[in-house]
Amino acid sequence: MSTALMTTAAEQALGLALPHRRMEEWRWTDLRQMIDKPYPPRQSVTARDADIDRLLKASPFSKIAATRMVFVNGHYDGKRSKLVNGAIESRAVASEPVLQMNQAFATDGAHLVLSGVIDTPVELVFIATDATPRAIATQNVIEVAAGASATLIETHIGEGSYLSNSVTEIRIGDGARLDRVKVEHDSADAVHLAHAHVTLARDVTLREFTLTSGAKLNRQNGTYNFTGEGTDAKVSGAYLIAGRQHADSRLVVDHQVPHCTSRELFKCVMDDHARGIFQGKVIVRPHAQKTDGKQSCNALLLSETAEFDAKPELEIYADDVACGHGATSGDLNHDHLFYLESRGIPPAEAKAMLIAAFVGEAFETVEHDGIREALADYAATWLTYHRGKRP
Amino acid sequence: MADLDTIELVKDIDVDKYKYGFTTDIESDFAPKGLNEDIVRFISSKKGEPKWMLEARLEAYRRWLQMDEPTWAKVSYPKIDFQDLYYYAAPKSMSGPKSLDEVDPKLLETYAKLGIPLKEQEILAGVRKQGEKSELDEQAGEYATGKVAVDAVFDSVSVVTTFKAELAKAGVIFCSISEALREHPELVQKYLFSVVPQGDNYYAALNAAVFSDGSFVYVPPGVRCPMELSTYFRMNAKNTGQFERTLIIADKGSYVSYLEGCTAPTREESQLHAAVVELIAMDDAEIKYSTVQNWYPGDAEGKGGIYNFVTKRGDCRGARSKISWTQVETGSAITWKYPSCILRGEESRGEFYSIAISNGRQQVDSGTKMIHLGKNSSSRIISKGIAAGRSDNTYRGLVSAHRKALNARNFTQCDSLLIGDKCGAHTVPYIEAKTSTAQFEHEATTSKISDDQMFYCMSRGLSQEEAVALIVNGFVRDVLQQLPMEFMAETQKLIGISLEGSVG
Repeated sequence: MSTALMTTAAEQALGLALPHRRMEEWRWTDLRQMIDKPYPPRQSVTARDADIDRLLKASPFSKIAATRMVFVNGHYDGKRSKLVNGAIESRAVASEPVLQMNQAFATDGAHLVLSGVIDTPVELVFIATDATPRAIATQNVIEVAAGASATLIETHIGEGSYLSNSVTEIRIGDGARLDRVKVEHDSADAVHLAHAHVTLARDVTLREFTLTSGAKLNRQNGTYNFTGEGTDAKVSGAYLIAGRQHADSRLVVDHQVPHCTSRELFKCVMDDHARGIFQGKVIVRPHAQKTDGKQSCNALLLSETAEFDAKPELEIYADDVACGHGATSGDLNHDHLFYLESRGIPPAEAKAMLIAAFVGEAFETVEHDGIREALADYAATWLTYHRGKRP
Repeated sequence: MADLDTIELVKDIDVDKYKYGFTTDIESDFAPKGLNEDIVRFISSKKGEPKWMLEARLEAYRRWLQMDEPTWAKVSYPKIDFQDLYYYAAPKSMSGPKSLDEVDPKLLETYAKLGIPLKEQEILAGVRKQGEKSELDEQAGEYATGKVAVDAVFDSVSVVTTFKAELAKAGVIFCSISEALREHPELVQKYLFSVVPQGDNYYAALNAAVFSDGSFVYVPPGVRCPMELSTYFRMNAKNTGQFERTLIIADKGSYVSYLEGCTAPTREESQLHAAVVELIAMDDAEIKYSTVQNWYPGDAEGKGGIYNFVTKRGDCRGARSKISWTQVETGSAITWKYPSCILRGEESRGEFYSIAISNGRQQVDSGTKMIHLGKNSSSRIISKGIAAGRSDNTYRGLVSAHRKALNARNFTQCDSLLIGDKCGAHTVPYIEAKTSTAQFEHEATTSKISDDQMFYCMSRGLSQEEAVALIVNGFVRDVLQQLPMEFMAETQKLIGISLEGSVG
């Protein structure tokens, strides 16, 4: 069958082809179809100071982070940051269309070198203000030096209609520890595309958590390359989506060396017509013996019209390993609901409690108390805002 | 140390020990090599088929020309030259349907050698060899002496179908599909291509164009088929593709259990096998379909072996219908096979139980699809993959619930066992839930036999081999139990041969 396709308006504006569902990795997120209007790149827009300040304050971590880099509409805002801007490292042009788009249009980005023990969280804030529809692209490089320890927060927040494309490369040195928390809270009319490319050296500890709740269309890619022995990584995430939101996460956990541990836990809550997708792949290369890799994704569908698709994949070439994955999908447990209601808790509240407990499990990856509480508050707000008193 | 021994042992076993690799020296009728519309017409006229069938074949052929070979499976093989194959081969002595007495003794000998005696009076213990004792006999009770009706397919034609008269008494139609096309054209026309349409996929289209024979079963309403039905496929002729088509219809409230077995001679060239199986279960009907696939797997270096590209699909058309697939995959160089269930009827149920063992350089990409369309439909998938040698063993499955499939329920468990560090085990499940009332659970693990398990068994006085056999048998137990009694003994033996001394 022929795969020749007509160029869409969005593709024309971007000047490149978008991925579509005939490509295996995009089977559930057809960007050609879903990006239904043009987002021309490199649009210069002026942002009002009041807007920026308001959005900055909307970050759940506005009071937690001690150091911060702020990007407004894809450009570094030195006035509001407490760090200096770094150079963007040049990289070979990637084959992935979304990476290509980033490569072509990236305007700015953070280059952080984290060394020593940094005990206060560092925040990167990406703000988009309400202006003409446009594509914004940023490239970030985060280097965690050997033996360093740091907490990094990444917040995406915005208003209006835009396409945000962020690529982050993270290199973690021997014996280092990185706690990374990403909150995606883009505008309801935004498209959020992200890539995180993480390389882990020997004896590294990585704790990562991503909360996805903004944007009408989300696609987040994460690759985790284990290149040194004794490394331990926990990657978790939660979806809180409703309306007609679409969120797709694709993780590739690549065990190239022996004696590493990886854990993935995704908790996805979908309401109304929302559609959540989880594609996780654990690769154990030949010789990566003693790998311990577990992956799990659980979906909670709150409405009959919500949808969940999953593809938890294992690709294993070494025999002395303990690998597994689990995936579940369903609605709230009626017995649990009944129990709470029989204790006098109103149905809406009982539901909210169960949903909070469901996503809460994924928050546990976050060890910083302040951040974890901020996330729990965020989830509670989402529950009241989106579900209100709905039974 | 034990690991090293294991690797040494794995090298020595199985792939060279294929015991069905002999060739029967029998004169065959071939269609000219290659594929074109004339060959399709040739096959159709050879079978004396009605005109609509020829039209359907030609349409399939034209569709096939438009299609591309699928490349998504995790298998690799040199490109198949479809013009370099024979699409029809029949033993010369076969002309028209015959009674058992007239069948070429050479053919009967072949089947006897395979352990499939076709003389009705000789069949006492199903597919087991004559006079062969099984420890299961005592527990098996009536099953052990139960009869099995066999449809024996040799290259492109059905040689003989046994117990036809006895089955006819119960109203069950069991015959080759070419015979069904002559005797019961209305039934065939009504159901053929209704589950796997001509243009379903590349190999299904090819099969629809050139299929030469296969089995046909119709179980009338309310009838419980009095015996196990079985078909035995044997490839013999060189450079020949085998394309058989099986169609099973279980009418309202009926039940049938069907077994399928297959072997082929040892040859240096690879051979293509592209079969299609269609099952249809009406209200309250149940079909149990079991396969022991033991095509020639190729030698240790991956030379030769069968390319097994098969489309199997069951349609639970009626309410409360049930289709259950059980497969034991030990043979073939490449397996590309996804027995599926379309759960259309309310409260219908689909089951898939699979043991896939790969060794040498075999490549297995197998799994199932459970497509929930009806309310309260349920399905269960248990897949056990065992990879040894330099093989690759992939489970690929889809579980989906349509928006209207309220309260659909699925449980999936995929376990893989790796033996040696040169093989690969992969799990690629797709889960699509379009309604919140669907409850889906999927679980997969990959591991090796733990040293603790081995140590425990060996400390109890079992030899390494016995310990391995015990543990592997425990590993596949859930699936083994689903096999009809007649196949269980055969299968345990097969697993033994495949894994003898291979685990440490």
